[in-house]
Amino acid sequence: MKKELKLKVNGQPYELFVKPKTLLVEVLRDLVGLTGTKRGCSSSSCGACTVMLNGMSVKSCSVLALQANGAEVVTVEGLAKGNELSPLQRAFLDHGSYQCGFCTPGMLMSTTALLTENPKPTKLEIKEGIDGNICRCTGYNSIVRAVTAVVKGEYKEAK
Amino acid sequence: MSDYSVIGKRVHNIDGTEKVTGSAKYTFDVVLPNMLYGKVLRSPHPHAKILKIDTRRAKRLVGVKAVVTGKDTLGRKHGIWRRFPELCDEEILCRAKARYIGDAVAAVAAIDEDTAEEALDLIEVEYEPLPAVFDPMDAIKEGAPQIHEGVELNINVNRHIEWGDVDEAFEKCDYIREDKFKCSSQAHVCMETHDAVASFGYNGKLEVWTSTQSSYYIQRLYADMLDMNESDIRVINRHTGGGFGSKFELDSAQFCAAILSQKLCQPVKIVLTREEEFTATKRRTPMYYFLKLGAKKDGTMLAKEVRVITEGGAYTAMGATALYLTGFFSSFPYKYPNYRYDGYRAYTNTAPTSAMRGFGAPQSTFVGESQIDMMAEDLGIDPVEIRRKNGMTPDYEVPGQAFIQSCGLHQCLDKIDEHLKKRGKLPPNHGIGIASYGFMSGGIFNWFNTPYAFSAAVVRINIDGKVDVYTGACDIGQGSNTTLAMICAEELGVRLEDIRVFSGDTGICPPDLGAWGSRQTLMSGNAVKRAAAECKQQLLEFAGAKMGVNIVYDLDIKDRWVHLVDRPERGVSYFDIVKGAIRGKDGNAIMGRGYYTPHRKGMISPAYSFGVQAAEVAVDVETGRYKLLNVTTAHESGTVINPVGIEGQLEGAIMMAGGYGFCEDQPMDDGKILNPSIADYKLIRSLDMPETEILEIDTYEPEGPFGAKEAGEGLTNPTAGAIGNAIYKAVGVRINDLPITPEKVLKALKEKEKQ
Amino acid sequence: MSYHCPVCKKISNKSALDLARHMIGRGDKVHRDWINSKGFKYSELLALQFSSFGGEGFKSLAEVLEKEAKVKD
Repeated sequence: MKKELKLKVNGQPYELFVKPKTLLVEVLRDLVGLTGTKRGCSSSSCGACTVMLNGMSVKSCSVLALQANGAEVVTVEGLAKGNELSPLQRAFLDHGSYQCGFCTPGMLMSTTALLTENPKPTKLEIKEGIDGNICRCTGYNSIVRAVTAVVKGEYKEAK
Repeated sequence: MSDYSVIGKRVHNIDGTEKVTGSAKYTFDVVLPNMLYGKVLRSPHPHAKILKIDTRRAKRLVGVKAVVTGKDTLGRKHGIWRRFPELCDEEILCRAKARYIGDAVAAVAAIDEDTAEEALDLIEVEYEPLPAVFDPMDAIKEGAPQIHEGVELNINVNRHIEWGDVDEAFEKCDYIREDKFKCSSQAHVCMETHDAVASFGYNGKLEVWTSTQSSYYIQRLYADMLDMNESDIRVINRHTGGGFGSKFELDSAQFCAAILSQKLCQPVKIVLTREEEFTATKRRTPMYYFLKLGAKKDGTMLAKEVRVITEGGAYTAMGATALYLTGFFSSFPYKYPNYRYDGYRAYTNTAPTSAMRGFGAPQSTFVGESQIDMMAEDLGIDPVEIRRKNGMTPDYEVPGQAFIQSCGLHQCLDKIDEHLKKRGKLPPNHGIGIASYGFMSGGIFNWFNTPYAFSAAVVRINIDGKVDVYTGACDIGQGSNTTLAMICAEELGVRLEDIRVFSGDTGICPPDLGAWGSRQTLMSGNAVKRAAAECKQQLLEFAGAKMGVNIVYDLDIKDRWVHLVDRPERGVSYFDIVKGAIRGKDGNAIMGRGYYTPHRKGMISPAYSFGVQAAEVAVDVETGRYKLLNVTTAHESGTVINPVGIEGQLEGAIMMAGGYGFCEDQPMDDGKILNPSIADYKLIRSLDMPETEILEIDTYEPEGPFGAKEAGEGLTNPTAGAIGNAIYKAVGVRINDLPITPEKVLKALKEKEKQ
Repeated sequence: MSYHCPVCKKISNKSALDLARHMIGRGDKVHRDWINSKGFKYSELLALQFSSFGGEGFKSLAEVLEKEAKVKD
């Protein structure tokens, strides 16, 4: 009853066999072994499992793995280039945009997707971009400040 | 005081790069060889006798390795108030009776989560439902169902605090008010749910990875419940996805994983679902508050009398402490010459209530700050002025209770006054409300009965000059490891990147009570500072001999430079001194030990932080909806060690405390929580988050490391009260029960119109 | 002048009222039994204390303690 699943995760192709009910987050964490993607509610309400699927941010607890067949997935592990952090990752560090860090991978993926789609978002658009992600520690404002700093060009893309 | 080289600098948390790259390892991510997955079966009844549990069908399911019930335990009960055996009342796996919807009755270990889940459905439990009681006011009536054997009127704990002559003082008052309030519950909503990986070895020793605020508490409670030596139990706390007060009691994930692992000698992992997190872990204590406040015409407050009854839920947990602290902090931050508090905690058939960030003080601050604004209005006094008139000052003694050394409340009031004046006249239906608050820097009480120091640390300097700090403190996201590393680096005269922190691992770290009551900066900080000082002393002894300086000179280390204090240019590299000193000790690494236990500091805490907060709202009078526009906080926490950390604590507290005032609630129907999901439990998301402004006030706390004190929980206290006062300023209605929802505002507006 | 708890080691240097607060507050079986043996009902004292301002529940017990627990130092 398992079916074949082919997908690329952070540029790396995988060929896997999964049950029809298996979720994308389970594939990423349990089969591919990328545990950076978290799971906070399993009902697409908290955003901790956010990843990019073909360039769009999705909550991987609400995507069946087989729906991602043939897709390109980017997780938090795919943001840094080699040992160079992405501009958003560096901005998060400087602005203290994380505390316990459990929501951080999801926040980074939501904001990365936002900037991919809209490189010059307003403050309101940034807030809208992370409205599906809950952070119980920071109160969001430091995350908005970090994204704003990236939008302003304060952090250059790693080469 | 600004010649610190590490303290007060804007730095990245020492675990920051792990967290922004997804490489931080939480218990949630731990996978061990041969590991099984566990699930917990919970009572669907608020109060029921357990007549029979049949696990045979579940055991036969392919992939199920073990099923346990209360019969597989030693039948012991645990609690945090270990000095009072009658308050250790929680079995975790119930044997005879379930006392709330969510009480654990059985647990399963299987090869995967799906199989474990399926097995739960195959366990047959025969219950005899009993009459149940949900409201504390009903629970203390004669004839209410008795939840714990021998506990009359379901009164679990009562606390009484009194000083002065309250009755006589009320007679001297020109004006007296009596008011009633109701404070709601609140869920912690840690992003990482409670989880544990327990591994019981054939050698009879237990290792547990778990998400906790106090590894030491969990180790000790395991020892009690499993009848083991505590040293045979290693509790490892790596990264923890939030705590907020919910993670320092032994919970069902931890206990069931251990019991299952003990049976099988295989690691067992249990991760609570989000629904379990809402229904079967602890939560903030709901309280009924009755307040009587008396003052002279000029606003001098002479007496306050407070009666509180709290909804305890099914077990004591840390609720007894919340009851005590809400009573003490009801007097905060004012100088009441006469004060009386009577607090009761009643058992109910609801999810147990316990510690949550602020620990009883958000409730007392909401009610107290609401009432003081009402009193100010009655007397025609400005809200800032009445707080100035009565506010605490440095070196104040709360009669018979506490000594307050540093206190910047009045500077905070001045700053907020300036802020209010700067805002000037507001548009219609806008209002700014203020609330003052104070909080403790760690509790002095030892109801847990630890024989160890409250905090302890070991610092080791290796041959390359790099420094290892071992502390039992737990970094649950608040950044305590970074703060402790900064304290160590400053004391030792090295850089932050020279420090590595090992924390919350009972196998290698000295015991520490952990992260609660805002204690780690002051208590663990002092322990680390002392340990570092001991290392430094050893280095300086060697440096003095090597440099051959006149003994009248003082030596110091700063930024890796060992030098004469009076002639900083005369010095030697720190790294050379370390190498020489270790050689001089026959190869022994440089080690220092430090500890901290408060003495002669009253009964509550060694130090207190203070602040004043102003919340601005805009109310839509048509719908009762309102928007939080701005929250400005004047705040003092002694020397600021980690400024980025404090900003984060402040803004995060506003999200949580604003939510307490604004929207967070756990409505119930016959003991069943109606919104056990993040979709239904409304909390502040990014679009609702107000602008935040922080006005830092300089103070110095003599008891704290480098003058530092609490900066984590106190900030949770004022927001609900400030919102309530702001709504009143905006549209003239006063809401006395939390949360202040649009429905309540609209209803009050309509009633006001009728009058 | 001090007040000695009749059933445990607690000594109050303040007043009979303070000792009453201790006895009701401690509230375990030995304290409850002693209070009940003096013709009170423990639960009633608690309820009284809770249902009104003014500390009435403690005052009646304090009257008894004034006579029975006072020790001249």
